[in-house]
Amino acid sequence: MKKYILLVEDNPDDEALTIRALRRNNIANEVVVARNGAEALDFLMARGPHVDRDPGHLPEVVLLDLKLPKVSGLEVLEQVRAAEQTRLLPVVVLTTSSEEKDLVESYRLGANSFIRKPVDFDQFMEAIRNLGMYWLVLNQSANGRDGS
Amino acid sequence: MGLGAVLVSALVYGVVSRYVNERAEANIRNVMLTHRGLHRYIQENMHPTFFKAQADGQVGLDFYSPIIFSSSYIVRVMHGLYNEERVKDGRPPIYYKMASDNPRNPVNRATPYEAQLLRRFNEQRDLKEFREVTDIDGEPFLVHAMPFLETGQACLRCHGKREKAPIGLQNLYPGEGGFNEHAGVIRAVEIIRAPLSKERYAALLLTGGLLGGLVGLGSLTLFNRHLRSKVQERTIALEMEIVERGRAEQQVRILNQDLERRVDERTQQLKAANHELDAFAYSVSHDLRAPLRAIDGFSQALDEDYGETLQVEGRDYLHRIRRGCTRMGDLIEDLLTLSRSTRRPMENLSLDLSRIAQEVIQELRSTGADGRTEFVVQPGLVAQGDPVLVRSVLQNLIGNAVKFSSKVETPRVEVGMVSGSHPAAFFVRDNGAGFDMAYRDKLFGAFQRLHDAEEFPGSGIGLATVQRIVQRHGGHVQASSQPGEGALFTFTLGA
Repeated sequence: MKKYILLVEDNPDDEALTIRALRRNNIANEVVVARNGAEALDFLMARGPHVDRDPGHLPEVVLLDLKLPKVSGLEVLEQVRAAEQTRLLPVVVLTTSSEEKDLVESYRLGANSFIRKPVDFDQFMEAIRNLGMYWLVLNQSANGRDGS
Repeated sequence: MGLGAVLVSALVYGVVSRYVNERAEANIRNVMLTHRGLHRYIQENMHPTFFKAQADGQVGLDFYSPIIFSSSYIVRVMHGLYNEERVKDGRPPIYYKMASDNPRNPVNRATPYEAQLLRRFNEQRDLKEFREVTDIDGEPFLVHAMPFLETGQACLRCHGKREKAPIGLQNLYPGEGGFNEHAGVIRAVEIIRAPLSKERYAALLLTGGLLGGLVGLGSLTLFNRHLRSKVQERTIALEMEIVERGRAEQQVRILNQDLERRVDERTQQLKAANHELDAFAYSVSHDLRAPLRAIDGFSQALDEDYGETLQVEGRDYLHRIRRGCTRMGDLIEDLLTLSRSTRRPMENLSLDLSRIAQEVIQELRSTGADGRTEFVVQPGLVAQGDPVLVRSVLQNLIGNAVKFSSKVETPRVEVGMVSGSHPAAFFVRDNGAGFDMAYRDKLFGAFQRLHDAEEFPGSGIGLATVQRIVQRHGGHVQASSQPGEGALFTFTLGA
């Protein structure tokens, strides 16, 4: 099964830049984009428009923005950790916010990593590169073993 | 008051002089009764004895001596002796007379006053004595008079017809005085007249003494009343004061309640404002940065993908756009720090400032921002405060020091404590560009910059943040410098 990334991002600019940063770092994996929290949950739980999807085929990593329409990033994280299927899914919070409370709350709800999107694109590139390297190349995902 | 005093004085004087007069009168009356007793003794004992002796032939029929026979003579002589003793004793003599309008001895002749008294006694037989206070030549005298014996048959032996009287008596008194008396007539009046000036004087003295005492007593009473009224006045004043004070306290309480209520209101408003500021800061950190990131990101994308088709000038523009984004990003970051330094709840811990300074320096070194700077940190600097906020102070001050000394030959930044300072004053000193003291006031204002951005880049928020943090700790921060001679920043954390 193909390894892919789920990017939960409502800002098309950030989406484009994130994908560009991944590509520029030679991460060619498919990137599935969800525009809001509800859509992301539907996808992950294989329900609603995604009811036909194989619920066992989970992304290698979810890049989750916090400030999202409808269902917020933190709520998404909470539900992901609450569901048996996605309990161990790697979730990297990727946000513009540098508020301490967001960081603390993210880790409390079980985020695997918290990355602040810098204004400087070079720094952003660096962050994405490290991220992709770790979660797509080095990390032995628990998903695969559970799924097969 | 004056009239009262006069009345009281008169009353007292009246009472006292009456008492004194009564005493004088009693004395005089005693004298007179003594004299009368003598008369009686002579008449009742000596006359019968004498006549018996004459009848018995023991005394000659022609013998007569007033020394043993005339009671008026004997009493007069005795009274003379009595007066002599009085005068010896420094007292005035007392006038005594057995006054008659038909005396044998002319010294006993009644004055018109005495004659009138004699007539009165004869007319009013029930009148047994007479007394009167009278003025003679301006001097007061007490006059006391008593009727002498009513002439009886026995008396007529010597006071009847002259020719029937004893031979000795006829020989001794050649005139008709004392003869031709009738039975049942009061023949004489005994009168005593004593001066009262001494007694008046005593009365005055006594009155004076009494009055003095009375005045003293009155004064005491008045003073007492005055004191009482004073005490009462003060009591009333005090009571009013207490009431007034109670009212004032009540007002203060009401004011305090009002003040507390208003403080509560203001606190609520401030909390609401803080909450809004919170939301704003969050919004700034989130929403403002996203478009900035897009500008920067796509500028770079443009540069990377299409840079070759652009001319040098076009690429320079792109670089300028990206530098602008970086600066704006820093500005937003600093604004957030400033906002957080105000909003963040504070902890109060024991801090090792020397270690924090070393860590800040390590961070600067790790990013290569330290240049060639030589750092000197005094060991053992300790303070009380919030670890995150105090670190921010040192980050800003050391960062500034490094930045503004970066252009000198041998940059040097020193962190230490002003020796002997209380409360402990810490300093960060550099040997860099310094600043003009004329602008010292502007140094700590947000967005205030004293140097060109070209020369020393920065947002102008760092020192504003430092000041806010120091003030939140109850301390002060100040700066001193000379252009070209470095800058010295001193701060305290709490009083």
